[in-house]
Amino acid sequence: MKKLSLIFAASLLVSPFALADVVIIGNPAGPDSLTDNLVRDLYLNRSNALPDGQKATPFELPEGSPVRAQFHDKITGRNDAQLKAFWSKQVFTGRGQPPAEAASPAAMKAQVASTPGSIGYIDEADVDSSVKVILKP
Amino acid sequence: MKKLLRLAPLALAIAASSASAQSTEDTLANMQQQLNSMQQQLNAAKNDRVRFNGFFSTGVARASNDAGYTGITEKTNVADLSLLALQGTFDVTEKSQAVLQLVGRGADDWEPQVEWAYLSHRPTNNLQLRAGKMRIPFFMYSDSLEVGYAQPWARPPQSVYGPIAITSYVGADATYNFNFDDSSLTVTGFTGFTDEDGNSGDVQLRNIGGVNLTWTDYVWTVRAVAATSEVTVDATRLKALVPPGITVDSQLANRDRGSFYGIGASYDDGSWQIISEVTRAEVDGKFADTDSAYLSIGHRFGSWTPYIAAGWTESMDDDERTGAFIPGAVPESILNYQRTDYSIGTRWDITPGVAIKADVTHVRGLDKGYGNLNTTYMLSNDTESTNVYTLKLDSAF
Repeated sequence: MKKLSLIFAASLLVSPFALADVVIIGNPAGPDSLTDNLVRDLYLNRSNALPDGQKATPFELPEGSPVRAQFHDKITGRNDAQLKAFWSKQVFTGRGQPPAEAASPAAMKAQVASTPGSIGYIDEADVDSSVKVILKP
Repeated sequence: MKKLLRLAPLALAIAASSASAQSTEDTLANMQQQLNSMQQQLNAAKNDRVRFNGFFSTGVARASNDAGYTGITEKTNVADLSLLALQGTFDVTEKSQAVLQLVGRGADDWEPQVEWAYLSHRPTNNLQLRAGKMRIPFFMYSDSLEVGYAQPWARPPQSVYGPIAITSYVGADATYNFNFDDSSLTVTGFTGFTDEDGNSGDVQLRNIGGVNLTWTDYVWTVRAVAATSEVTVDATRLKALVPPGITVDSQLANRDRGSFYGIGASYDDGSWQIISEVTRAEVDGKFADTDSAYLSIGHRFGSWTPYIAAGWTESMDDDERTGAFIPGAVPESILNYQRTDYSIGTRWDITPGVAIKADVTHVRGLDKGYGNLNTTYMLSNDTESTNVYTLKLDSAF
């Protein structure tokens, strides 16, 4: 019991550090940096093109993911329920479809690395050379 | 020394195995990544060309009398508020899509009806052309008229949305989107025709032409719409109430000029949700010209969004209906209407994709005109007001 509570206390201490900051990543052939506003516009169906004119393909992590929550908190200011309501309105008014989902951070990297014009977001600690960081919100 | 010699192969083996473990791990990680990528590409190929979405509503509503405001009477009926819709979006090419939306309503015995069937083409990032069957964009919520989940209320404010029962048309539209730094302006032109069952009977709109402007900074939204068409209305429903042997002129409009104007504004900062629309419908001839307006104020408290709303609607050309609809029995003034409604209700988001709504609407001024109500009941009762209680579940998936 003492051990358990110790582990619990330790996890409380560790958890703020366990989740590093979310970063926005892009396909290596895409632009080197994007503004907060453009990333927001791409994820809220307000714009569908990168600054160089190519079609943008954003990817999301699944609902309930803490990295997803952190990304939307910083970029779009919307939670999962609000996003669901927002996208149902877009879908059923024929304005667009929500971004495709990548099942995990590894899948997100693989998608962004292999899709031209794509952007995504992952924990900074998961970044590797297959993608490039284009914004640290 | 001997001992050392004996240990050397072991040490080598350990070193080698750890090196090979390292490379196996790398290979595994690489393969895992490739697998992920292939899986994602498969998913993408599968998902991108065809997507299915749907929405569903059900609920109960009952009124304090049989005045028939929005068709709701003292008899509770679950089927009338129930509907299920499926929408398929098919990518024809990178820039073109075919969209089909089927709606089955409990009130129509769940017979599926095509509400949307159109082709859309985006020649550039900012221009969209569509042709086929679409919603006629009279109101701010026209496009999501039956998508309860996309609306804050149990039903769109009937003062504005009630008098015009025409919801779809067949035609074409062109939408241009001007994207600014923190706002956008959308301009849509639309044209087409429709032949539908309206409130009073058969309604035809020919040669519809309209323009729709929407500006938003994503907190404020301002919208203006103007449309015109040739209107033909045959009040077949009223005619059905006329005793046999009596002839009435049920043709309320015959290729007469009709115009529609609307302005709307909304404010949504994430907490406050304020929506208002003001509309005017004018048709030459006996068909009632209508002015309508509503104001709705809601506030989000976590997953709860209570709202209050007030609406008003009135026929503006009552002096054109001073004759008799049935000579000696029913005056033309039964086509007039004027009423105010007050709603209080709440939306409760149980989980992303599902919301429950409860609403109480008090409607008064019914005695000033029976238009859009249960005419038979209204002619034989002196009812001034009605209360409508609604409990509804809305979902989108």
